[in-house]
Amino acid sequence: MQRYFQFSILSMVFTYLLIFIGGLVRVSGAGMGCPDWPRCFGRWIPPTSLSQLPDYIDPEKFNLVLAWVEYLNRLFGALVGFIILITFVLGYLHFKKSKNVLLSITAAFFLTLLEGWVGAKLVDTVLDPITITIHLLLALIIIGLIIYSSIHSYYLIVGNFEKFSNYHPHLKNVIVGILVCLFIEIIIGTEIRGGLDMSRKDNPLIESIILLKMLGPFKYIHTILGFSLLGLTLYLRKIVYNIKFKSSPFMINSINFIIILMVTQILLGESLVFFDVKPLMQLFHMWFSSLLIGLAVSVFTFWKISLEP
Amino acid sequence: MIKKSYIISVVTIISFLGISATWVISKANDSIKELPAIIKKVPNFSMTSHNGTPFNQDSLKNKISILDFIFTSCPGPCPIMSSNMRTLYKQYKLHPNLQFISISVDPEYDTQDVLKLYADANGVNDDRWKFLRTDMESVKKLNREGFMFMSESLPAGHSVKFVLIDEEGNIRQYYNGTDKGSISILRNHINSFLKNFSKNA
Repeated sequence: MQRYFQFSILSMVFTYLLIFIGGLVRVSGAGMGCPDWPRCFGRWIPPTSLSQLPDYIDPEKFNLVLAWVEYLNRLFGALVGFIILITFVLGYLHFKKSKNVLLSITAAFFLTLLEGWVGAKLVDTVLDPITITIHLLLALIIIGLIIYSSIHSYYLIVGNFEKFSNYHPHLKNVIVGILVCLFIEIIIGTEIRGGLDMSRKDNPLIESIILLKMLGPFKYIHTILGFSLLGLTLYLRKIVYNIKFKSSPFMINSINFIIILMVTQILLGESLVFFDVKPLMQLFHMWFSSLLIGLAVSVFTFWKISLEP
Repeated sequence: MIKKSYIISVVTIISFLGISATWVISKANDSIKELPAIIKKVPNFSMTSHNGTPFNQDSLKNKISILDFIFTSCPGPCPIMSSNMRTLYKQYKLHPNLQFISISVDPEYDTQDVLKLYADANGVNDDRWKFLRTDMESVKKLNREGFMFMSESLPAGHSVKFVLIDEEGNIRQYYNGTDKGSISILRNHINSFLKNFSKNA
């Protein structure tokens, strides 16, 4: 049982790293670094020089750096898939009776396979924008499921750490609301990102920051929803800090961390608009949003466990 | 105390990720911006555009050119090539330094009037995209000796490549004109060339 918990944490850490690497592929423009899938230029180890290219692929497509960045994502993806598979098997062995643990890790495992398939489709469609968004959303759902399963297994191992808590009746609605809004916020974010790419194609030599200002309504909705999310979380903090609900430190720390991250996100997002669209900042903006999803799922899970005997 | 070590580890992880990512991004950026080397010079030629104006090797000077070989009655890859060319033509409408050249490999059928109609059908409304013709012998020779394409079975067997030519009339790179991935690499190269161009101007 301990083993399962350890592996679920490992799955979580590696999935987060993979999301980061995936974002890195996106911002460095390496998505088509390997024009075929699963191999790269027909090889299991990407070519290091032009002479290694097979005849049926145009040499003009070859860019050593981009090929290896893209391939790193695939290799790491395979590794993460393997770790999640082990976690899933351990879950099956030790938590047969716990639906909360087993169902979520089973779903996570099969969605991981689907995620790999979507990755292949991305190469097939030459980075279709909607497929890119689906690729990210699936990753977020997978990380949510892993965290949900992991915390439940922890509860079954150490006993109910939330047994003294008796949360405010609003808590469930607020946290579900935050999760839904986070997903909407991320989808709008990907729209802004995609829109920026499209207008960059039409205006190749204009600075990104000017293009971003031209994008209009989406950007404002993104900002407004961002502030609303912060407001909602501050309300959440208020209701868990009330001494009569005896909130667990897990709950309190998670919510504080969400607030810190949300403020960081707002600052990062606005500096993208006011200073410059720097790839590194875009990357962290995306990655922090995946951390927010994970923390919001944790808060939801703590609440759920507080209802257990 | 717990809090302090906690903050330190978070900062360490973020900086580590940030530094590695910066390194990868800058490597990737440099590799995208890298301009392809000179392959060879386009030889002398003399043609007429769909507007009736003469066009020769000197018309390539001081401009970045994207060139392909097509014929208007072609059922196969030409419509895809022209549609991809049209997209680029529209996307770079603000850049008079970039010109598009389509050379007919079927000059008997593709008279100046036919080319003019073809240009209209592709929404050409300025000087940036020219459709050229000459006699069959010259176009075969240019195909074979100028651009190193097969020319035995013209018109049907023409190449589907787009050719990138620099401001001094040198061939810099070939791209598959029917493939989206190739075109996006072409777009990166065009951007780098245009940036260099505006710097030097």
